[in-house]
Amino acid sequence: MADEFIKGLGILTGSGLAWLVLASWYRTSSFESTQQLIEPLSSGATEGLFNIIAVTLMDVFLWFALLGALTFWVLIPAGHQIMSALEERRNAQ
Amino acid sequence: MSDNEPENEEIRSDGAGIVAPDDETPTWSERKARKTGLSRLTYEYFERARREDQDLRTESDYVERDVLAFPTWPHETVRNLSIASFFVGMILFLSATMPPHIGNPANPSSTPAIILPDWYLYWSFGLLKLNPLNPELAILGGQKLMADRTYGVLANGVVVGFIAIVPFLNKGSARRPVEQPFWSAVGVFGVVFAMTISLLAIKNLMPMNVDLLFDLTFLLPFVFGTITYAVLKTMREGYMYNLNRRYYRLRPPK
Repeated sequence: MADEFIKGLGILTGSGLAWLVLASWYRTSSFESTQQLIEPLSSGATEGLFNIIAVTLMDVFLWFALLGALTFWVLIPAGHQIMSALEERRNAQ
Repeated sequence: MSDNEPENEEIRSDGAGIVAPDDETPTWSERKARKTGLSRLTYEYFERARREDQDLRTESDYVERDVLAFPTWPHETVRNLSIASFFVGMILFLSATMPPHIGNPANPSSTPAIILPDWYLYWSFGLLKLNPLNPELAILGGQKLMADRTYGVLANGVVVGFIAIVPFLNKGSARRPVEQPFWSAVGVFGVVFAMTISLLAIKNLMPMNVDLLFDLTFLLPFVFGTITYAVLKTMREGYMYNLNRRYYRLRPPK
């Protein structure tokens, strides 16, 4: 269980950090804005190969952070619980 | 140590008898299959530390001390160095990738639209924004007893006074939160309140309804405190709580 926790935490923090940096480049007009990191893309964000790659990676990192944490903290432990419950039921019969 | 070892063999304090050589190091799947990896590792670490301690005691210049701990070097120092390196690296990384815009020089003749103290004083700044809590007394004809700013300053005294009183109410004999659920709940209440009152201090920057923010500031601490109390009280039900409590009450001999 501790393994699953640290995997989820590592994905959440590592991928979240990468998303934070990219979102601060492409979705932040000012660090005093109330919409920083979630603003629409700044102008010129889709010009050039590197900008396109970075904007794509930004979404990839965000969803990887969210889905990764969800997977390792909720889905996999729930799967283990279901498997052990089924096994107990099978042994009881 | 097994019994068939020759007694004149030199005592090895490098832990070579405990730690597996490189070619015998288990793979990750093997480690996972064991299910006892962490407890085994903990045992090996403490056993090695105990052995080093024993070797130290047998040295002629050893002075008995009533301290029960690991030596600062290398245990604590290596750990602290790694933690310090991590945070220094994180500071360098963030300052390199996200440099904040440096604005114009401050104009001393005009107050900025947003004034804020340093972040660790947000809680105190938030206490200055309790205007809706300052009672309007009917006997004064709907007037307030004191100005809102006076009320905010007195609120600081209440919070600081409560923090100062806590050590006299609870001596801190518990080793784990589960031993004193109520006081753990008080601690969680304080931590959550420190966060929510800090968010109230920056209500200009919060992307949410200000009235809702004000209500949540005082509601969330009670919610989290109650959850903490309920969870810890439930944890006490099983898990050999009384046995563990007796164990954690032990103190090293003086």
